Amino acid sequence: MISLTDFLVVSAVLFCVGLYMIVSKQNAIQVLIGIELMLNGAILNMVAFSKYDRINNGGQMFALFAIVLAAATTAVALAIILNVYKQYKTIDPGSINKLGD
Amino acid sequence: MNNFLQAIDTLTIKFTLAAVLLPLLAFLINLVIPGKHNKITGWVSTLAILFSCVLSATIFSKVWNTGHLVHQQFAWFTVGETQAYVGVLLNNLSVLMLLLVNLIALPVHIYSMAYMKDDAGYNRYFSFLSFFCFSMLALVVVDNLVLFYIAWELVGFSSYLLIGFWFSRHKAVQANKKAFIMNRIGDIGLLTAILIIYATFHTFDINILFGDHSIIKAITVYNRGEWYSPLTGSFTIPGVSYHLDDIWQFVAFIGIFLAVAAKSAQFPLHTWLPDAMEGPTSVSALIHAATMVAAGVFLLGRVYPMFNGIELNILAIVGCFTAFMAATVALTQNDLKRILAYSTISQLGYMVMAMGIGAYSSSLFHLVTHAFFKCLLFLVAGIVIHQMAHIRDDNKLDIDPQNIQNMGGLRKKMPLTFIAALIGGLALIGLPFTSGYLSKDGILIQAFQWSQGKGWLFMLIPAFAILTTWLTAFYVIRLITKVFFGDLKLRERFPNIKLHIGDGGWRYAVPLLFLAAGSLFPVFSFNPFSYEHSWLYHGMFQTGATAGEGLFHVIVPVGVNIFSVLVIYAAYRIYAKQKTNPFSQTSMLYRLSANEWYFDEIYKKYIVVPVLAMGRATFRLDRRVIDGFIHSVAYAGMALAKAAMWTDRYIIDGFLNLIVAVVQSIGNFARRFQGGKVQYYIYSMLVVILVIFILTTLI
Amino acid sequence: MNLAQVLFYLMAFIATASAVFVAATKNLVRSIFMFFITLFALAGLYVLALADFVAITQIVIYVGGILVLILFAFMLSGKETLNTIGELRSKFISINKLPALLLAGLFLVVLLNMIFKLDADNLGWVKKAQVTHNMILPNSSMTENIGINLMTKYLLPFEAISVLLMVALVGAAHLSRKGRSA
Repeated sequence: MISLTDFLVVSAVLFCVGLYMIVSKQNAIQVLIGIELMLNGAILNMVAFSKYDRINNGGQMFALFAIVLAAATTAVALAIILNVYKQYKTIDPGSINKLGD
Repeated sequence: MNNFLQAIDTLTIKFTLAAVLLPLLAFLINLVIPGKHNKITGWVSTLAILFSCVLSATIFSKVWNTGHLVHQQFAWFTVGETQAYVGVLLNNLSVLMLLLVNLIALPVHIYSMAYMKDDAGYNRYFSFLSFFCFSMLALVVVDNLVLFYIAWELVGFSSYLLIGFWFSRHKAVQANKKAFIMNRIGDIGLLTAILIIYATFHTFDINILFGDHSIIKAITVYNRGEWYSPLTGSFTIPGVSYHLDDIWQFVAFIGIFLAVAAKSAQFPLHTWLPDAMEGPTSVSALIHAATMVAAGVFLLGRVYPMFNGIELNILAIVGCFTAFMAATVALTQNDLKRILAYSTISQLGYMVMAMGIGAYSSSLFHLVTHAFFKCLLFLVAGIVIHQMAHIRDDNKLDIDPQNIQNMGGLRKKMPLTFIAALIGGLALIGLPFTSGYLSKDGILIQAFQWSQGKGWLFMLIPAFAILTTWLTAFYVIRLITKVFFGDLKLRERFPNIKLHIGDGGWRYAVPLLFLAAGSLFPVFSFNPFSYEHSWLYHGMFQTGATAGEGLFHVIVPVGVNIFSVLVIYAAYRIYAKQKTNPFSQTSMLYRLSANEWYFDEIYKKYIVVPVLAMGRATFRLDRRVIDGFIHSVAYAGMALAKAAMWTDRYIIDGFLNLIVAVVQSIGNFARRFQGGKVQYYIYSMLVVILVIFILTTLI
Repeated sequence: MNLAQVLFYLMAFIATASAVFVAATKNLVRSIFMFFITLFALAGLYVLALADFVAITQIVIYVGGILVLILFAFMLSGKETLNTIGELRSKFISINKLPALLLAGLFLVVLLNMIFKLDADNLGWVKKAQVTHNMILPNSSMTENIGINLMTKYLLPFEAISVLLMVALVGAAHLSRKGRSA
């Protein structure tokens, strides 16, 4: 039997890796990947706990919603990244410190 | 009658003012005439002096020997209780000097127009000359000591200007400085004397002080030499007592004496006069031979009543010494003008000596005659020098045109000049039929009379006076022989030189003839042998002067003149041979004479050098001590300021800067969280979350 | 240790290792492809957590949708962009990475600390679910139950998320139009 703690540990590791990527990466796509990693860590949490909710399936439902939301987020984020690149010729989030006119 | 006299007086005063102010007007006109070499200036000055001359002749005829004193004055300013007046005083002495100055100035002006015609400073020359005439005329007519002092200074100043006329020459500048400094010494003396007189008598008025019924005369008659408690005299206020100690009276005398010595080039202060010959020769003729140097004697004449016996003796001794010393120096000089300058000093010495022995009228008589013949001699010298300069310039030689060793034989080229020089020279020697005879013999005779019965020591004065006469004869003949007889010395050195020289035009001839006429006896006396018959002597005769006595009247002139003739013959014999230096140049006496008795050296060594050293010492004192103190104060102030600045900069500003830096660094630190870097925001946020986590975990 | 545990540890290892590789690699393309692995491994973990429908959705949407979208966006936007974007200038550990690493490490420590303190298997509601058998068993099929729940209990979130998805897609399409910038 796989314990919940094991899942939580894995999800914590994934979350921290994603966090590291968000904070340190100088490439917006990698930052995006970091966000996805964190999301996945969170989803893993919910999925793991949903094992103990057979009737309502709350964890799995919100995992599904989160996945869909992540897809939407990624689509918009990529569009934004491309536009930012057209505007600034860079996708380093540290360099983009000016508002477009 | 009184009204009539009043009217005449008023007219006379007006004439006098016109005569004095005309040269000033000429000076002012010349100042505004454009250019540096405008012939109009010469005419302006000459016409001014001509009118002045006519006016002064008129005044002279009205005032001379009438016994009537023309004196008019106006209130000038008030100091305390003393009212100072400005006015004109005309008595025999003033009008005589007024006429004399004009009579000498007129030919000099005419002569100058020719003499200076090629000079670049023609305008300036005539401006200065007119200014000098104004000062001198003012000097002789003013009626109080303040104005007298002003005029005295102006005379000195214009003399300074004219000596340094060629101010680009170093020697001229040195000479005018020397003259000015020497004259300053005299001026201080005069000022001191004036102040002492004022402090005692509370008036500057010359007439009240020294006139016929004056305070001083009253005092001196009453008790000669001690100025106190006058009992008589028309100007004195009864009951008012004046008192002055002997010592202060003597100080006043010393002051007057210094003034006289400076202006008239007497013994201690005489050295400026030979140097003053750096000025144009016409200036030397007018100022340094005839008029300005006579101002000293004139001053003696003005203040004569104030001297006592001892003081008069001092005057006599100094005058005699000066006369003798200058005559010996003149023996060996080679510069034409220097010889004449020393001769002038010598003759001025005669005048001062005459004042000292009480021959008041003879002294002034000699002053007048000397003015004529000395001016004549200087004008002759000017012509000779000009011609020598012509020779030099025509033949491009390198010679000194004033050196008599280069001259000779000019008699044939310049006959008129020669005759004028001869008359002037004989008058200077004092041979009969000349004016010089009349005046000089007067002095000599009175000197013998004066010394009689006073002991053998006093005999030295007439003895030296006579010796001086013979020396005069010798150097005059030396001069004339060297210049006019024999052949031109230059031919020996430069055989091929061309000579285009002559007497010059009418502007040279007229003054010479005029002055030569003035040097002959008929102008002053119809009896060529007796000075006492001269109108001038009578005009000046003062009560109390010794009357002539028969014996000296015969012995002295005859003895003196016979020996003079012998000296003349000897001198002619010696110098007609044309040897350059007939006497040994190494003897002690010769060197003493040639070096002018070493006066300049002595003054330089014992006065100029110590004064300069003192000046340097005081300068150093000033620089080191006084300036040093001021500097140290300044440094202290600066150090204080620096300390304050340091405090301000590093403590007060530092405190502010510290606050600023803290604020800035906080700002900089905080700014980084708002730098627009999204990741930084996230990072900060996560850090805060982390901290909260850790804190909640731990607590 | 049964097979499920072995598989779990394997999957967990793959997921964490590939995630670390994603974070550490210098090459963007490699990092993207390694992210595939992570997602697949996660899908495996979902299966092991008895959520097979979520695992399928994960593969379909994440791998088939998001990752492909990333790849397409990355690769279709021209060579120049590719070069610039693909260029990773940083090293894994450098001075400016150090704070991030520290932060992440501390976070991990804190999280692990909390997880171990929590002792999730002995929570009250977990125990209660075990007692009331309100728990998914490996042999039970949950897909049907999910479908019913989605259409009944979670209908409103389901509609909301679908509208949101459509808005997001329209917005993304609008943003990525060529020529005129948003």
